[in-house]
Amino acid sequence: MSQVTTEKGVGLRGRISEWRRVTEYVIVFAILIESVAFAIISPEFFSVPNLINIALSIAITGILAVGMTMVILTGGIDLSVGSVVALAGVVAAMIAAGGGSTASVLLGSAAALAVGVAVGIFNGFVVAQFRVPPFVATLAMLTICRGLVFTITGGRSISNLPPAFAIVGRERVLGLPVPVIIMFVVFAAGWVLLTRTVFGRYVYALGGNPRAAFHAGVNTKLITFLPYVLNGLLVGLAGLVLASRLGAGVPNAGLQYELDVIAATVVGGTSLTGGRGSVIGTLWGAIFIGVLNNGLNLAGVDPYMQRIALGVVLLLAVLADQAGKTQGGQAAR
Amino acid sequence: MTSFVRLFCLSLLIASFALINGCQRAEQGGGSTSSSPTGKRIGVTLLTREHEFYRDLEAGLKDAADRQGYQLTVTSGDFDLAKQQSQIENFVVQKMDAIIVCPADSKGIGPAIEQANNAGIPVFTADIAAQGGRVVSHVASDNLAGGRLAADFIARAIGGQGSVGIIGQQEVQTGLDRENGFKEELAAKHPNIKVVAVLNGGGVRDRSLKAAEDMLQGNSGLKAIFGINDDSALGALSAAEARGRADLVIVGYDATPEAVEAIRRGSQLKADVAQQPRDLGAKTIEVIRTHFAGGQSPASISVPVKIVDAESLKASGGQ
Repeated sequence: MSQVTTEKGVGLRGRISEWRRVTEYVIVFAILIESVAFAIISPEFFSVPNLINIALSIAITGILAVGMTMVILTGGIDLSVGSVVALAGVVAAMIAAGGGSTASVLLGSAAALAVGVAVGIFNGFVVAQFRVPPFVATLAMLTICRGLVFTITGGRSISNLPPAFAIVGRERVLGLPVPVIIMFVVFAAGWVLLTRTVFGRYVYALGGNPRAAFHAGVNTKLITFLPYVLNGLLVGLAGLVLASRLGAGVPNAGLQYELDVIAATVVGGTSLTGGRGSVIGTLWGAIFIGVLNNGLNLAGVDPYMQRIALGVVLLLAVLADQAGKTQGGQAAR
Repeated sequence: MTSFVRLFCLSLLIASFALINGCQRAEQGGGSTSSSPTGKRIGVTLLTREHEFYRDLEAGLKDAADRQGYQLTVTSGDFDLAKQQSQIENFVVQKMDAIIVCPADSKGIGPAIEQANNAGIPVFTADIAAQGGRVVSHVASDNLAGGRLAADFIARAIGGQGSVGIIGQQEVQTGLDRENGFKEELAAKHPNIKVVAVLNGGGVRDRSLKAAEDMLQGNSGLKAIFGINDDSALGALSAAEARGRADLVIVGYDATPEAVEAIRRGSQLKADVAQQPRDLGAKTIEVIRTHFAGGQSPASISVPVKIVDAESLKASGGQ
């Protein structure tokens, strides 16, 4: 957040090693292979509109995955994201619909972000202060928030929103949908934060070896806490974008998003034990899954088969990634 | 090593989801009881109370039961098989005169129904059928007929030819029935209409939106989309609106207030197949009354569905 002290020691060499780290991902080749395969099956695949369509389809997952990467890098996890996406979206829609004006849309948008941050603060506090395992803390939050959504809406969607509500979800700038632009900005910000700031180095240090980090003088409580808050902000943002795209606050939105998001993060090479991984890898992971879903849909693959294919390919991707790392002799951090 | 750690974490993740189910199992529904203590007692376990459909179904049951002087005990299984099983067990212990079940899991509910059978309590299912155990009668909307109505509406709206898509939910029987009714009707009566894409929207709006976007992307000449419930159809509507596909015809299912509103304002959502949950509830009580009187009821009873479009909305002057 405020710790944007830039790291000066990263020169050309650092950048080269980083590029090598990126290219080491087997995932990039996997994306190329699946893209070629889908392009052969359906000519529609490589058209510009479809590529934009894919980008749009991963926008929400992508925004969430940046926050999740940060949390997982510290050795934590956040299972509550799907429920909070729904909660933030519903709160934004309720406030926007209640006022019915552009001002109320702004207020609702701010409220969505605030909801995300509030849940993030709560998650982070419980995990950092009371050392509750993040699995349990965020799992509790998952059910609490979903229950809350159904309670405040009575299970009904909130629609009839002012026109301004559609801007973040449906508008385009220079041909690019706004959610896609937001996703790229979030990825860029996440990349800078994790690779170019002291905060980022502390996150890696904490996830890699908490004890060593503590003895090196890292404020481990704070560095455990902050990623949950930043993640919460992104979850609120994702909830707002999704509600805007749907044109409604939908109480059953975001079901099982935690799985999609964790999948994108893990396929992108981030270790669930913390300390290893990157935002760029996560972007590749999100692209990989987005391309797969889109390609299977375009190819008209039977919905049953799609589920099997997705599971198998996910497993293969992780195995291949793992094999690549072991061969590389733990070169990549 | 790290791969083992990773596997371990993943299995923890899976275990955690099992845990959620476990937690939900722990809490048991109380249930509300209504009206006259002298009449027959009927235990009801609904699938959920969070859907409007089930609230209307409950209202239909209650009205009809009140008229017959039956005492109704209504509980909700909240999509949880174990919870529903223990609710049925409670009804057996309470020696209810009849039990109505809207199963959370068609197959899994079998043993609980057998328990009621063994206690000599007649069991009826409403909306969702059960497999296993003896069920006197199953009362449900005719989902195949609903799919056919949707097909006929779309055929008329697009002039009897062109390509159409379905946003379905293939893991649920009612969803499959609607999809199959739709396909059968097109094949039988509208051979010039081709179903070019069938995708799974999971019955929820965000996934249906994504599915619809891929569908519209991959099939530029697509003329119509049938969504097997309103969240599927409203997801498709969001996609059509975002792409400016003003010509697309969308037909949904269930006629929720939001869908009705979309039809009324002249959006691409042109019609909805409407179930009549109140009628469904009333019919179920009627079947039970026949059974109490010693009469025979058919094993399967269909409650008609109807199509709702801008014209019928205008004609009914509101809802």
